[in-house]
Amino acid sequence: MPLEHPRKGDRPVMTTIRDYTLGERLLTLDNVCVHYDRPILDGVTGHIDNLRRAGLQQGQVVCLLGPSGIGKSQLFRCIAGLQRPTSGSVRLNGSQRDVQAGEVGVVAQNYPLFNHRTVWGNLMLAALRHGRSMDAAREACLALLDKFRLADHARAHPMMLSGGQRQRVAIAQQLLCSSHFLLMDEPFSGLDPLVKTAVCETLIDVSTSHELNTIIVVTHDIECAIRIADTLWLLGRQPDASGRPAGGASIREVHDLAGMGLAWDPDIESRPEFLELAAELKARFATL
Amino acid sequence: MEKTLKPVNLLLPFTPVRVRWKHALVAAQAAAALALWALSTSRTLPAPPEVGRAWLDLVAHQGLLVELWVSVKVSLLALALSTAAAVALACLATAPLFMPLARLSAALRFLGFAGLTYVFMLVSSDAITLRVAILAFGMFVFMVTGLLSDLAATSRDPVDHCRTLGMRHWRITAEVVLLGKADVILDLMRQNAAVGWTLLTLVEGLTRSAGGIGAMLLNENRYFLLARVFAIQATILAVGLVQDALLSMLKEAACPWSTLGKETAPS
Repeated sequence: MPLEHPRKGDRPVMTTIRDYTLGERLLTLDNVCVHYDRPILDGVTGHIDNLRRAGLQQGQVVCLLGPSGIGKSQLFRCIAGLQRPTSGSVRLNGSQRDVQAGEVGVVAQNYPLFNHRTVWGNLMLAALRHGRSMDAAREACLALLDKFRLADHARAHPMMLSGGQRQRVAIAQQLLCSSHFLLMDEPFSGLDPLVKTAVCETLIDVSTSHELNTIIVVTHDIECAIRIADTLWLLGRQPDASGRPAGGASIREVHDLAGMGLAWDPDIESRPEFLELAAELKARFATL
Repeated sequence: MEKTLKPVNLLLPFTPVRVRWKHALVAAQAAAALALWALSTSRTLPAPPEVGRAWLDLVAHQGLLVELWVSVKVSLLALALSTAAAVALACLATAPLFMPLARLSAALRFLGFAGLTYVFMLVSSDAITLRVAILAFGMFVFMVTGLLSDLAATSRDPVDHCRTLGMRHWRITAEVVLLGKADVILDLMRQNAAVGWTLLTLVEGLTRSAGGIGAMLLNENRYFLLARVFAIQATILAVGLVQDALLSMLKEAACPWSTLGKETAPS
């Protein structure tokens, strides 16, 4: 059983903390290339290690940041196991085999759910995928409905839900059946600032509630990425001889926000470092 | 406070209209058509009272309702068989090996029944089997066409979603095609039920001795008994509309999600 995360009211207690250790390897991206008629991804290499904080059991949030059209969605599909890279590999937990679809929880941009099933039906379908008994599945679904404040909507169909409710059901569904981490594609796309804040809080809440809840967020929203992430990967292209970005994209920079003391701080937006980093990343976007 | 009625120009396309107004428009136009028919001075066209009398006579002396029941049974059996076969083929067509077979089946809708009926006669043991086989074939080719077209328009998202939940192969087909398209299947059933009634006369004409309302229609038409022909046609129209309404209710009950998120006019 995971240890209960310390809470003050409904919000996890977060502090500006630099003390953490890195544990076992969770994800390895090994020279991932995707080529069609032109290179999209070219040698994407990186890894995520399990991050541990003394006295806490929590996951982590890694944001894969990059401008639109850079190949984020292609990398998303490769990490999700929905697409085989042209070359290179994506591996989980130090395994030697490539990731398979279904091993990683995936919440796509439009929060896919089965419209022909109710919220309860969607959750039970996922809960029963991993050999749970009916009673255990029901218990797991009830717990998540309660956690995500969706108990009143259990019998509703997805078409009857608001965007935020739909997103929470999609996250809950994937948490029920993924045994590794949660991958999210552009969760902030097209949202107003208030809803963005609510989504950020949901993601932080999910990631800090369980050791296994590591979330990889693919986004081009710099402020939201800094707000929720403990690690930032910046995806971009190499400049050619004339200085213009060319070829396929790869991870150009890694920002260790936990090491910089910028992670797990609910008031991060008020800190000058937040604004400086956001400005720096915006300037970098133009060169990617 | 008294509500004021806003004037609505019914001639303009996509003008939003209240449901009760839509019903009123249907009723008014049906009444106008009936009035035109009643006031017609044509000598050959039977008047509504004549058709009414002919209908009563057909029921009382010619066994119209018994013949209707014969046809309804054939129509429902053919509808069930064609739906089962078309859905099975559409599911199989999600595997590349079976796609050519599905496309070939859809292409057969261009064939006429002439000559083809001979093949069905060879494999059918009696008149009713022959009728069901031909009718089911006629419905099947159109239903396969509709299902393939809907499958082609399906995005990659639901399939990917199934894969992220750990589903594989035919389990994905079951979720996306069988369950996810249940509303489409029921809509296509409604269309094919209508196609079935239009084909029924042709099919029953091949084996008139086995009875049926289509055979009755052909017999009355042969002697140009127009009042009776109109009475039989009106019966087929009424049964078709009732069947359509029942299938629509079945769809609403079985697939309540299919109407969610669609704009509905106020009543």
